Amino acid sequence: MSTNLETTNLKTDEMIINMGPQHPATHGVLRLILKLDGEIVRHVEPVIGHLHRAQEWQGQNRTLFQYQALIDRVDYLSGMFTSLAFAHACEQIDGCQIPPRAQYLRALVCEMNRISSHLLWLGTFLIDLGALFGFPFYPFREREKLLDLFEEIAGQRMMFNYIRIGGVQRDPKPSWFEKVRKFTAEFPDRIDEYEAIVTQNPIVLKRTKGVGILDKSVAMDYGVTGPSIRGSGINYDLRKTRPYGIYPELNFEIPLGQNQGDTWDRYMCRILEMRQSNNLINQCLDKMPEGEISGKKQIAGLRIKAGEGFSAIESPRGVLGCYVISNGSDKAYRIRWRNPSFCNLAVLPSLLIGRPISDIMAIFGSIDVILPDVDR
Amino acid sequence: MSNLLTRAKDSIYQVLRGLKTVAVHSLRIPTTKEYPDTMPPLPPHFRGRLALNVNPETNEHLCISCRQCERVCPDKCIEITAHKSPETNKLELIDFKIDHGLCMFCGLCTEVCPTDCIINTNDFEMADYSREALVYDIRKLTLTQGESSHYFAAKEIALPKPKPAKPVASAPIAPSIAKPVETKTEAKPVETKTEAKPAETKTETKPAETKTEAKPAETDTDTKSTDNESK
Amino acid sequence: MLANSAELFKFTRLTLIWLTLIFGSVWGACFIVGVLLPTLLLRACDNEIFALLAQICQYLTPLIAILVFIPINAMFMVLVERRGLALFTVRMGPNRVGPDGLLQTAADAVKLLFKEDIIPTGADAWLFTLAPIIFFAPSIFGSIPLLAAITGNNDLFAITNLPTGIFFIIAASSVPVVGIVMGGWASNNKYSLVGGLRSAAQAISYEIPLVLSLVTICYLNQSLNVVEIASRQTGGFLNWNIFGGGALNGLDKYLNALINGSSNANDILQAYYPSNQWILTVIAIAGLVVSTIIAFFMYITAACAEVNRIPFDLPEAESELVSGYNTEYSGIKFAIFFLAEFTNLFIVSSIATIMFLGAGNNPIPQFLIDYLFKNVTFIPQTINAITQALSPLINQIHLINPITFWSVVWMIVKTYSLVFFAVLVRGTLPRFKIDQLMDFGWKRLIPLSLLVFFIVIFAKGVINTNV
Repeated sequence: MSTNLETTNLKTDEMIINMGPQHPATHGVLRLILKLDGEIVRHVEPVIGHLHRAQEWQGQNRTLFQYQALIDRVDYLSGMFTSLAFAHACEQIDGCQIPPRAQYLRALVCEMNRISSHLLWLGTFLIDLGALFGFPFYPFREREKLLDLFEEIAGQRMMFNYIRIGGVQRDPKPSWFEKVRKFTAEFPDRIDEYEAIVTQNPIVLKRTKGVGILDKSVAMDYGVTGPSIRGSGINYDLRKTRPYGIYPELNFEIPLGQNQGDTWDRYMCRILEMRQSNNLINQCLDKMPEGEISGKKQIAGLRIKAGEGFSAIESPRGVLGCYVISNGSDKAYRIRWRNPSFCNLAVLPSLLIGRPISDIMAIFGSIDVILPDVDR
Repeated sequence: MSNLLTRAKDSIYQVLRGLKTVAVHSLRIPTTKEYPDTMPPLPPHFRGRLALNVNPETNEHLCISCRQCERVCPDKCIEITAHKSPETNKLELIDFKIDHGLCMFCGLCTEVCPTDCIINTNDFEMADYSREALVYDIRKLTLTQGESSHYFAAKEIALPKPKPAKPVASAPIAPSIAKPVETKTEAKPVETKTEAKPAETKTETKPAETKTEAKPAETDTDTKSTDNESK
Repeated sequence: MLANSAELFKFTRLTLIWLTLIFGSVWGACFIVGVLLPTLLLRACDNEIFALLAQICQYLTPLIAILVFIPINAMFMVLVERRGLALFTVRMGPNRVGPDGLLQTAADAVKLLFKEDIIPTGADAWLFTLAPIIFFAPSIFGSIPLLAAITGNNDLFAITNLPTGIFFIIAASSVPVVGIVMGGWASNNKYSLVGGLRSAAQAISYEIPLVLSLVTICYLNQSLNVVEIASRQTGGFLNWNIFGGGALNGLDKYLNALINGSSNANDILQAYYPSNQWILTVIAIAGLVVSTIIAFFMYITAACAEVNRIPFDLPEAESELVSGYNTEYSGIKFAIFFLAEFTNLFIVSSIATIMFLGAGNNPIPQFLIDYLFKNVTFIPQTINAITQALSPLINQIHLINPITFWSVVWMIVKTYSLVFFAVLVRGTLPRFKIDQLMDFGWKRLIPLSLLVFFIVIFAKGVINTNV
């Protein structure tokens, strides 16, 4: 439909609009310098760095034990994953044993966090599409339940500091597992409700089908990962392709986009991923072994051996990598993050050029960028 | 044409399905918690305002001035003032300040505390009119006996053993508020004295010039904690 | 099932209190200007000038009624919208200011009035100030012809009974877009400019299906007068314009006769639908009924676009254009934009009610009530008791007669149901894209409305609705 707009011969002066950093829909502080021809975007320049907090530098100037409390802020919607990436890298250097119960607890909380992150994405995506007042409250309601569960084991709702080097922080009580079971039992019905409202809605279909098509080759060139690349039909999920933790022992499938990799495919991919995560949570609960929860004593002077390690895990936004060099002291010598949002954001200009303004937010929302993750 | 009609029919059906789903939601009980009227049910391990416990049984202050929390704090928002008592040759707590405007509620201090003195309470209503008011001193931080026993029970911490023959630390807290400068100078010699004592710890690989301030504090508290363990 | 009955009850109570407030104050204003003041003037001095003044007072009554009605009604509608959305999103909504949040929007209005009124640097101050006024004014003079239909042609409002009422309303309703474009241009803001231009494009495209669907009804009723169109829909829902605009009149009368056991039932049927060409008649009736129902939904869609409601709120698309044409507005100017938007929603809903849903007429035919409750006597008795209890209100207060009273009551019920439906739509649907909006308007709605119009013309030729 919108191609009709493009093929007109009418050319007017280009208008430059600064979209953001103060804009209701740029998910924080992204700034897009747009050149518009009428409503068609001719040139995009994302300006990032408004939320730079020197996460890597901070890690090099704080002890490992202190830095564990800070890494949840790298990506505040999926704090468990950033903790997990850092813990994996350090454990790789140290070679310490992680007890099986801790492994299962890690997978359990990570999948819960994946659901909560996707739920927030779903709400904001619909806000980006213009359903401002009604629907977005529903996913937030379920997310609230998950955050309450996190609060019970970790102490806070977003800055968990739960996954530690060598294991996890606290052993949940049996009543907590019961609450998780209750949540997983009713969650599929809630997804059905979301789908009844959104998935086949004609306006949603019109706004997402064929919009923001991400080619396989383009996606691979830019290093796009996560549901965004799986929406394009590339089966790349580190939980399967390079399994870590206890994922080899769990039974699951990777949902892929069915069409050409447009916005709707990415939406569908995340919806299916939520269902799959719900299933994974149930599997973790069923297989949960008894025993220790940490293979390393959590003391203030926590040290790991000298060496370097890199870990990559599948966060809700894509491949989250953490590279740590340790010289054997209680501080890391060098820390480097590979953030999925940063790499996914790079592909945005190539998707936006030639589209009308209204598509900017639909496409930007569909690749699920979170700005603290971009800027670190 | 028939294609168009089918699509129109599908669209209308899907829109109506969405409208029905939303409309049915109006029959559900609201999830809103009316916050100031009903407090949210917080789990015992919720990381709220920091506070200092007293022994629930004997009402003696649990802090032994080991400075573990001061050292582990990523924000450096804890400031402990202590001096070595001339009679008993043990550390005596003079003041304990936490800048809650700086604190990020990571809860690391509570994890390293050897006596479970510093804890996260379930209180989160700390709004105040000035930044200075957010710096809590020992009087504002110390919990009453009842509150302490409540948190000991809720967090399932083992009750502390009563300390043998030690003067009650919670008594001399009054002068510290009036003259912080004086107490600082009082505290300085303690640090320098302990710095001179342990010369064996030299494990830092790259000691930068700026870190000299922090390093003796570390060694100092290391020795303190070992002291406590041996005791 | 009704787990949420507490909140629903609160919502209903809130609505009833506000409605009493609105119509009480409107009645009070009308009474003072239309009855009390002229009487006093005439009593004061028996003089030609005073008589003229008294007459002018009476003529001004409709205007006063609207000026009192619009702000209070807009406050009520904002509250209904917020509480309604809260119901749909499993929340509670505003419930702190006053009992149950009764005064929330009044507080908001006061807040807006006391806010600083900013004119941005580089803005065209004159146009910037004029824009909200131009946006708001049509909702005052555009709603004047509706008054006669709403009040059942009360004497005091007879002056508003224009012979070309609907024409006047349509003409007035196309003015506000000038205000939006003006405000968007004068703000010196690119988002506002895009919003204003979108609004212009949208209003022009959606005016056509809107007018065509109304013209269909005017053609069916052979009138442009809203009072006459309203009066032709008396006697039950089968006579409503949404069901064929009089095509089912005969059925209504036939059923009445049949149920009452009247012998001339078949004669009535014969008079309305001649049996010598019954296939054609049935086709024509079916065509009429289907076309008018489609026309109704087309009207609702186009009206949503006309008043910038979701899913057509592109001029103020929040996720794209910050707030569109009113981005730079604050204080009382923003309040006027806000007021006009909700008043426009009310006006289009009441036009829909008058034109399609039988205006202030009772939806249930009397014979049906008699038939259904023939054996169950307590229900009609209760209704009678309620009517009796209300009779001092109806009969003994100035300005109000039974016709006016019931007409206003049914108008309120129907119009606010439509408003509530708009709230539900707002809670569900996302927004269109501008090109899709144009596409939908020009390629779907306009051809469809023309088609409906032609079907109605031919079908109307076949059956005689004017017996």
